[in-house]
Amino acid sequence: MLTTAPHLRTRRPSPTTVEYTVSTSPTLTLPLRLLLITTIIFRVLIGWSVLLILYSKYLLSNLAAATSTHNVQPETIVSIDYLYYILHLLHTSKPGQFATTLAALTPPTLLIPLSLVLLHILLQRPHTTETLLVLRGLGIQTSSSSASYLSSATTRFIPTEKVQDILVNEAFRGFEVRYYLVVVVEGEDDVVVVFPRLLPRRKVVESVWRGVRGCLWEEGRVGGLSAKGG
Amino acid sequence: MHPFSVLTLAIFVAGYITARWDLVTRLYELAVFAWDHGVVARTAKGFAILSLFFFLFIIPVERLASRETDLALSVENALKVGTLFRNSSHPIARIYELCGQPSMHVLGLSNSAHVDVEVLQIHAATGQQLRMPQISCARASTIQITMYERPIPNRMQYISLNPISLALGDKAEMATHAPGSVEAEEEKEERKKQEKTRALVEKLKLHTVAQHPPSHKERALPKIVNQVNCSWELQQILQKNISLVGRRSRRSLSVSERVVESATSMRDFLIMAIWHLITLYIYPVIRRGFIITLLCHRVAAEAFLIVLEWRAKPEYAALKDVSATAQQVEIRLQQFCYWPMQYITLRKRKDDWESITTSHPDYIRFYNSLWLVANDVIIGIALGSYIIDNSTWVAESIGKILSLYSVAALQRTISWLMRWPAGLKLNTELAAFLGDLFLWVIDHWSGLVEALQPYLPHLIWFIGFSSFAGASMPIALFSDLVSILTIHIYSFYMASARIFNWQYTILLSLFQLFRGKKHNVLRKRIDSCDYDLDQLLLGTILFTLLFFLLPTVIVFYLTFACSRMAIISLKAVLDTLLACLNHFPLFALMLRIKDSQRLPGGIRFELKDTQQYSSTNPSSPTPPPTSYIYLKSVPLTFRAMFHQYFQLGHRIRKHYLSPHVLLCLATGKFVPPIHRKNLYSLQYSMLPAQRAGIMEMWNALTTNTSTTKEKKPVYENRGFSGRRFNGHLSGRR
Repeated sequence: MLTTAPHLRTRRPSPTTVEYTVSTSPTLTLPLRLLLITTIIFRVLIGWSVLLILYSKYLLSNLAAATSTHNVQPETIVSIDYLYYILHLLHTSKPGQFATTLAALTPPTLLIPLSLVLLHILLQRPHTTETLLVLRGLGIQTSSSSASYLSSATTRFIPTEKVQDILVNEAFRGFEVRYYLVVVVEGEDDVVVVFPRLLPRRKVVESVWRGVRGCLWEEGRVGGLSAKGG
Repeated sequence: MHPFSVLTLAIFVAGYITARWDLVTRLYELAVFAWDHGVVARTAKGFAILSLFFFLFIIPVERLASRETDLALSVENALKVGTLFRNSSHPIARIYELCGQPSMHVLGLSNSAHVDVEVLQIHAATGQQLRMPQISCARASTIQITMYERPIPNRMQYISLNPISLALGDKAEMATHAPGSVEAEEEKEERKKQEKTRALVEKLKLHTVAQHPPSHKERALPKIVNQVNCSWELQQILQKNISLVGRRSRRSLSVSERVVESATSMRDFLIMAIWHLITLYIYPVIRRGFIITLLCHRVAAEAFLIVLEWRAKPEYAALKDVSATAQQVEIRLQQFCYWPMQYITLRKRKDDWESITTSHPDYIRFYNSLWLVANDVIIGIALGSYIIDNSTWVAESIGKILSLYSVAALQRTISWLMRWPAGLKLNTELAAFLGDLFLWVIDHWSGLVEALQPYLPHLIWFIGFSSFAGASMPIALFSDLVSILTIHIYSFYMASARIFNWQYTILLSLFQLFRGKKHNVLRKRIDSCDYDLDQLLLGTILFTLLFFLLPTVIVFYLTFACSRMAIISLKAVLDTLLACLNHFPLFALMLRIKDSQRLPGGIRFELKDTQQYSSTNPSSPTPPPTSYIYLKSVPLTFRAMFHQYFQLGHRIRKHYLSPHVLLCLATGKFVPPIHRKNLYSLQYSMLPAQRAGIMEMWNALTTNTSTTKEKKPVYENRGFSGRRFNGHLSGRR
């Protein structure tokens, strides 16, 4: 419900600039927004509780035996002691007590990998968004949002001078044939795949391909056909 | 007016006045009445106020508008004459050369929409309510506006199309592997793979149907990047000199002004004089002395390096290939040889604009290596003082560990192997023979180790003392110590591997005999062969015998192979530690966190929404379609920073986890250790492959002194004209 099939959005403020966005996020309506916000709140809550359980496990182990308890409120708010005091308050509160009992019940060999996996799942982004920005005279830029919230999107800018060709290719993926857009970069061994994570359908790929070829190079400036090209 | 019509009008007026004479008298009475009641004075006052208002406001506004058109012209003029580049620290021609433009020009005016200048096409409007600058251009059909934040060259920020390279890129590929060795084979395989991909890339080129020759605009991208990098400094100069535009040069000071000035600057003058004396007489002496000490050090370093790199024959190993300590000393000496040269290149940066970014990677490399050495020494002092304070305890524990693991544990294992280990019925006689053989050698070795035991505290003390030269030194020494004190395991491994390999090959060939075949060496294949009966009989008997003896040999071989692998992995850990201490990109990592703009990893564009901005000015006619793009610098990724480490890891993995090595282990062939040269590819990425000679260094150091004396020519009044770098625009039609 939060995600849809990958669909294309085009922004073209001027004829020389186009941005194609393929994303799995649906158009945001009010209920959908509310739903998203609630899932985020839910994620944060679960994440904090996992961290709390890990902390109480740490306190139960003999690693924390040496550290003194910080049960007196320090005068200044901006200090390490205050942080310890807040942690102490959290630990002695009702959810903290519950976390302690839970941590005492599970063995550390089970608890630590389980919580790490849970944290990893919680940090995944719900939507995937991939864009292709075409700027005449400058170049094209592919960008792909990262899977988790920890890292930002990866972008790759290719100057027009370096773009040898843009083509649609096909490949087997499992039991299906996928069409994908490819940028051939001059002087590089590997081609650059546009929309590498979503790999949208052929219709989308074809329309993007037409748009890019129309926008990137000025009309009437195409040189002679190379003799060997098929 | 025609004279006749004038006459007609005069006759009409005269006739009218005579006909309506009473009206004239009325008017006269009104005038007298008005004069009596002060109407005239009030009118005059009103007129005076109005004209004052006119003079104060309307005329200046008009003048200002015309001045602005004049301003554009005078700025253009100033750019041509070079007034705007007065007092620039470096020649402006350098920037022109970088930016690929012969001169600077005024492109347009900002925030003055009502002024029209014939030559200019661009008007820009910025303001508080406009988040994006509004650009209008009468002749443009579409507009693409690229905005960027000026990178500040004083903080060494810059943008670049390609990621900054932290490694030195001048190393020539040093392929001096002996033919037939593992490295040579690996290299051959790699080359074959590269050729294959190259052929594929060539094939890919044939798929391109239409070729697009790059236009002038497209080829200008690197120049545009340079222009962006230069923009901040140019803006500073233009701002500094903008007061000079359209004004006469100042008159010279009068006598009284001069007296005041000399009185106020007397203190500065004294300080300047003393400073001048210091720089003229004392500083050169200190400098010369410093250079001479540097050169003495350099000569000593050269001597050491020659010793370390000496090989009896080109294919033999040098001292630095064998010992980690020698390698460590070599790295330090090489760094020492490279620093003065690096420092001189960095000094040259001061003689040029800050916007020139070619030496920034050098800067990062230089300070990275300096910082690493300083860190190394600090950690080393802590470690060394600990080791020296507790040298007896450390020596005792090391001696205990040594005798436990390399002698006692081995003895116990061998005697366990001699007595049918784990219920495995080995050949008693062979096991006893082999076990006794190894036990004798171990006994002898343990005698040697015990003889060494009293000297161990001194040795440890020496290691601790060496760590004042850096924590990497004791680690390297320890690595060497481990390889010396485990020589017996190495030799056991070699011996047992050789025995196992012999037996294995004999078994293989006897198995062929058993099948009635033989291995044809010339054609490298298996041929059938007619053996005689006695040959077959003897061969079969031998095969059976050797086959039943094989488990005993395998067990011994496996034991020593495992211990050898353990030692290799221990040394690999130590080597990794050394690599981290010597080549960790600490400075780059710190820069990435502090100011990521200093480590550019490419550029990125961001398309901005334009709907809400274009509709802010409803009075103007519909503007041409405009796109707003943000140009941003992408910081270097962490992966690219540790690229060298990934490469090293890949190389080690390829060497030790390859099927070739596993095959060697299984058949008892000698597993060649990875070449130190491969392991130390990191070093060659930080230091030049060919170090600068002594004379080269002398020349560099002395020419540097001669140029600094006649530094600071003031570049003034040069007849340059220029192109104005308009901070935010690159308009397109």
